[in-house]
Amino acid sequence: MKVPKEDSHDAKAQKKEKDLEPKKKEEITMKRVEEKEEEKAQRASEEFPSDSDSDDEGLSEDEGTVIESGSQSELSEDEDIVSTSGDDESSDHKGHGEENLENQIESDDSLPNDDDFSQEDEEGQSESNESRQAVEESDSSEDEVAPRNTIGDVPLEWYRDEEHIGYDLAGKKIKKKERQDKLDSFLASVDDSRNWRRIYDDYNDEEVELTKDESKLINRLLKGKAPHADFDPYAPYVDWFAWDGAKHPLSNAPEPKRRFIPSKWESKKVVEYVRAIRKGLIKFDKPKEEARLYHLWDDSSSTERHGLAFIPAPKPKLPGHEESYNPSLEYIPTQEEINSYQLMFEEDRPTFIPKRFTSLRSVPAYEKAVNESFDRCLDLYLCPRARKKRINIDPESLKPKLPSRKDLKPYPITCYLEYKGHKGPVMSISTESTGQWIASGSSDGTVRIWEVETGRCFRVWELGDTVQHVAWNPSPELPILAVSAGQDVFLLNTGLGDEEEQKKIKEILHVETSTAPDGSGNNSSIVSWAQDDKHEGIRLTHFKTVSSIEWHRKGDYFSTVMPSGESRAVLIHQLSKKLTQRIPFKLHGLPVSAAFHPTRSMFFISTKKNVRVYDLLKQKPIKKLETGVREVSSIAIHPGGDHVIVGSREGKLCWFDMDLSSQPYRVLKCHPKDITNVAFHRSYPLFASCSDDCTAYVFHGMVYSDLNQNPLIVPLEILRGHASSNGRGVMDCKFHPRQPWLFTAGADSVIKLYCH
Amino acid sequence: MPKHYRPPGKKKEGNAARYITRSQAVKSLQVSLSLFRKLCILKGIFPREPKKKVKGNHHTYYHLKDIMFLKHEPLLEKFREMRAYEKKVKKAMSKKNRDLAERLLTRKPTYTLDMLIRERYPTFIDALRDLDDCLSMVHLFAALPAVEREKIEVKRVHNCRRLSHEWQAYISRTHKLRKTFISVKGIYYQAEVEGQKITWLTPHALQQVLPVDVDFKVMLTFLEFYETLLAFVNFRIYHSINVKYPPILDPRLEALAADLYALSRYFDANTTAPTVESQAVSSYGSNGQVEDKPAGAKLAESELRLAQLQHQLPSNEPGALMHLVEDAAGKDEDDEEVKECKNLFKNKKFFLSREVPRESLLFVIPAFGGVVSWEGEGAPFGESDQSITYQIVDRTMQGHRFLSREYVQPQWVFDCINARVILPTEEYMVGRVPPPHLSPFVDNEAEGYVPEYAETINRLQAAARKEILPILGVGKEDLDDPQNLLVEGIIDRAEAIEAAEKKRKMSILQKQYHDELKIELQGVQYSSVSNATKQNSVEDTEAGGESLPDFQQIAEDAANISKVVMPRKKRRLYEAMQIGKERKRADIGLLKERKRKIDEAKKSE
Repeated sequence: MKVPKEDSHDAKAQKKEKDLEPKKKEEITMKRVEEKEEEKAQRASEEFPSDSDSDDEGLSEDEGTVIESGSQSELSEDEDIVSTSGDDESSDHKGHGEENLENQIESDDSLPNDDDFSQEDEEGQSESNESRQAVEESDSSEDEVAPRNTIGDVPLEWYRDEEHIGYDLAGKKIKKKERQDKLDSFLASVDDSRNWRRIYDDYNDEEVELTKDESKLINRLLKGKAPHADFDPYAPYVDWFAWDGAKHPLSNAPEPKRRFIPSKWESKKVVEYVRAIRKGLIKFDKPKEEARLYHLWDDSSSTERHGLAFIPAPKPKLPGHEESYNPSLEYIPTQEEINSYQLMFEEDRPTFIPKRFTSLRSVPAYEKAVNESFDRCLDLYLCPRARKKRINIDPESLKPKLPSRKDLKPYPITCYLEYKGHKGPVMSISTESTGQWIASGSSDGTVRIWEVETGRCFRVWELGDTVQHVAWNPSPELPILAVSAGQDVFLLNTGLGDEEEQKKIKEILHVETSTAPDGSGNNSSIVSWAQDDKHEGIRLTHFKTVSSIEWHRKGDYFSTVMPSGESRAVLIHQLSKKLTQRIPFKLHGLPVSAAFHPTRSMFFISTKKNVRVYDLLKQKPIKKLETGVREVSSIAIHPGGDHVIVGSREGKLCWFDMDLSSQPYRVLKCHPKDITNVAFHRSYPLFASCSDDCTAYVFHGMVYSDLNQNPLIVPLEILRGHASSNGRGVMDCKFHPRQPWLFTAGADSVIKLYCH
Repeated sequence: MPKHYRPPGKKKEGNAARYITRSQAVKSLQVSLSLFRKLCILKGIFPREPKKKVKGNHHTYYHLKDIMFLKHEPLLEKFREMRAYEKKVKKAMSKKNRDLAERLLTRKPTYTLDMLIRERYPTFIDALRDLDDCLSMVHLFAALPAVEREKIEVKRVHNCRRLSHEWQAYISRTHKLRKTFISVKGIYYQAEVEGQKITWLTPHALQQVLPVDVDFKVMLTFLEFYETLLAFVNFRIYHSINVKYPPILDPRLEALAADLYALSRYFDANTTAPTVESQAVSSYGSNGQVEDKPAGAKLAESELRLAQLQHQLPSNEPGALMHLVEDAAGKDEDDEEVKECKNLFKNKKFFLSREVPRESLLFVIPAFGGVVSWEGEGAPFGESDQSITYQIVDRTMQGHRFLSREYVQPQWVFDCINARVILPTEEYMVGRVPPPHLSPFVDNEAEGYVPEYAETINRLQAAARKEILPILGVGKEDLDDPQNLLVEGIIDRAEAIEAAEKKRKMSILQKQYHDELKIELQGVQYSSVSNATKQNSVEDTEAGGESLPDFQQIAEDAANISKVVMPRKKRRLYEAMQIGKERKRADIGLLKERKRKIDEAKKSE
């Protein structure tokens, strides 16, 4: 029965696959095809298709329906068979089915009755062929003699203490038999020769005497044999189902041919797959293969890198002694040093603190290993790279080759004299044109004249106000000193020179009363010329503080600068006529100082940013020198007149070549603090700058008459010696007109003379 | 109008046209940022520093040509394809079509990096030059645990380990190792391959810490490239010594984590075979040579027998015998340094105890010609071997001690290698604190500070070379550096002068004070005298100033005076150099100071 069913089911499944397969044709891989074929082979050999059925993943989801349809198909096929076998057998077929059913029931029943097999098997086995009777006589042993006991199938212990074992039909108790005592029973058993045959039946409470046959049977059972001697357990199997002689066979169909020949359909399918594989319609899963290695760098091909210029990443830094697991003791910072790291800025703090381990096995894993590797990775792909030229040179080679200083002598080197007497910072000094005298003005309100060579103080004026600037008249015949103190400018007669000169000076320094108001109304408000009897000179009263005075080379004109004077900040005074006039140019910014050209009628006015050059005769600007510094503090003109140096408050010194451009020819950064003054020597190729850092620099500044040759600038000497006072250092410096000597005026109220 | 205004229609020029920012680059390539990053890493594209940063300072700039280079990379297309494929898989998954998804996953498109390597390193030397990072990274990952969360796969860790061992085996076999250094961070090695110095760091063989603030994606991308690179490099170097690559290892040794030893045995088995034909004639002719080196031959022979015993070599293999000869014959090709390295541990037999870093020593000792075994299975010889000359121990010993051998700490091996001499073992005995381990990468003379132990080693080296040092403690370098002497002399003189002057000034001041006191006692009015004394003092100081100027000041001025006329650029450079020098000097000063203190503390004890 089973065989055809499964066969049909199998066919059905195949059918279903057949339906599916054309659809999936492209997608199905060879692997699956193989699987199918394997499956089929299995079926053919084992006839065990239910397992392989579950293999089918594609159908797994609707398995239930498959099974159902399978059962349907079974029916239908049965009908098929019926139809082929003929109509006359149809009733037969039905009956056969019935019998089959009964047989099923019988076999089911036999299972629980296994216990009392021994009693019933006599009949069961003997009547093996007549199954119907066997069904009826299954519990026949019970029917033969009714048991005395009526309590039913309950444990006998329940009735152990009772005297009855149930009730009879009349409702009377069925009494237990009187029990003999053991002695009696023993004696009885000894007497009775057949005692061994007797068995006490607990259930019925009676003694049973076994017959000979019964004892034999028991013996056989004890030996584990079949109870009846004539039963052959190994008898040849006789199929109980009458295959041929049955009136109504289950299936009368002959075994189909297809069961015995290879499937055409399958072979077709195989061929189909083979062709598809050959054509490449079906692709195999390639086995995962390892990356193939080969000679990547064979020498044949080009060895140039494509793309932009490659900048290789810098190699990681190699470890130093301090990274050792066991460094020298001196590489290990002390606890205080480690503590002091906490006070540092985070970026300055050392990232690695050396540590010492006494043995290699105690070294732990480095906890930042991955982090550092990661940082390196980030550097490699995130850091912008640029080719930087690493200069591995001796820093000394950076310094320019300068001509030997010995060849440039003479120049001031050492402090030779000090002029002491001022009580406050010396604001300004000026040398007399012969070089015999110097004048100095201090913030204590005094102006002093010193004899250069002895250091003797020749004369003192007390002006009462801070002296800003002193300036000798450049003409040797007129030893007049112009002094600015506050808003006043004094023209003082120094009393030097012979009598003739004195007479002339006195003449010049005589002012008719109130000349100034008489003058043009324009000038009257600016400056008033007045006789100053107290100091034997002239007093010019300005309307603002005068910061500097410059004489014209001929000694007749002089200019004054009032930084806060706005449009009238720079004035030019004529001594002989006692006249004052405004310069006719527009000022751009605050004027700092002014200077006359040493040979021509040109006038320099330096504002905070720039220096402007004007022609006084034509009355128009000539040039603008762009210093590029933050704040100009002083200006000096080369005696040749073509070169200008400008000192600035940021410590820079700019050298301008008037012939070249408006940009500085050379900027020298020499002082860390403000430059207070700069000066040219009148005859030697020297210039100097002095600054608030208490130093004065002396330079060699050679100017060649050959226009193609640039001026040679060589720093010569740093002159020290002044002490800082109140943040100010050296206030002024002036060269001696004849000798290569330098005078410096310090804020420490000392004037020094540096000689060669 | 802004300064860099470009009228519409006018082409960009200069830096604006040449450089684009990263976001622009990403946009123009039409990739995601992470893919861009990956491409950059694989392709070796890095940002550049334009002279003028048109878009601002806070951007990273790429050169347009670099980006174009990326744009034409076939890998870019491949990545796009992969992305599309991933979408397919995702779609299948979301449609619950797991079958399809799995099938798709098995056929995932992959990519190879070999052409990129070729492109980035056109010659083998280029690759070697850039191998430092590669080796360090591969060695690090060989020591990392596989973490699924971070996508560090077991397979890759194993691959890293295999690659690193192969590299080490080659270096060790060909005696190319030059320097080693045990640092806190790990062990540094420096090898010289084809004239390139390659330095790499291996972490200590311990459980590594995996930090959370690290993006492993980036590292794995780097690793991907590095793995391929190292595989090709290994392939090349193995073929250069006629060994098949990839090597096939004895699985038993591999299982015992003795890969290096397995590799070296593989070499033994393999190197000789292909060269037999060419060498056969010459080797038979040079039999005498072999006999010249009986000790070495015997050693090699025993090694060979050992290998045979452990079924590595068939006993009748002709290469087995050749092996000895080849070693002898190949010697003339080696230069001086290789010979030195090869013979450092010649005829020495090492045994490693359990607690020493086995992998490192197994790599290092054979690289310098030693024979090494270890405690454990698969070892070529056991602890009881009488011919062992050194046993490396890092723990106080218990049990039997052999008299025939010396027990040293592992640092001894590394110090010997760096010094290239066999150092005396007393200081490295077990239980002692070994002498400081110094970095071989530091040029002590250039650094300006020579640690004490470095001097000791120098002396030992000189003794080994049979040179006699003139004076103990005075190195050669001290003598032949006149600059140093000169500077020292100047400083000394300056100091002396300074001291003298100070003394003189003091005496003057004292004298003045005494004079004033005297005058005051005499009752003379101060004011009238003051002038005179002042004049005096002025003269005095002036005279002093003239005869003995502030010497140091003058020297300084003389040095600085030319700074005034320097152009700004050079001056800044000069100043920066001075600052650097000053810092270095301060560091050395600190070291000397510490050393002095330590010495003092020692003395006082």
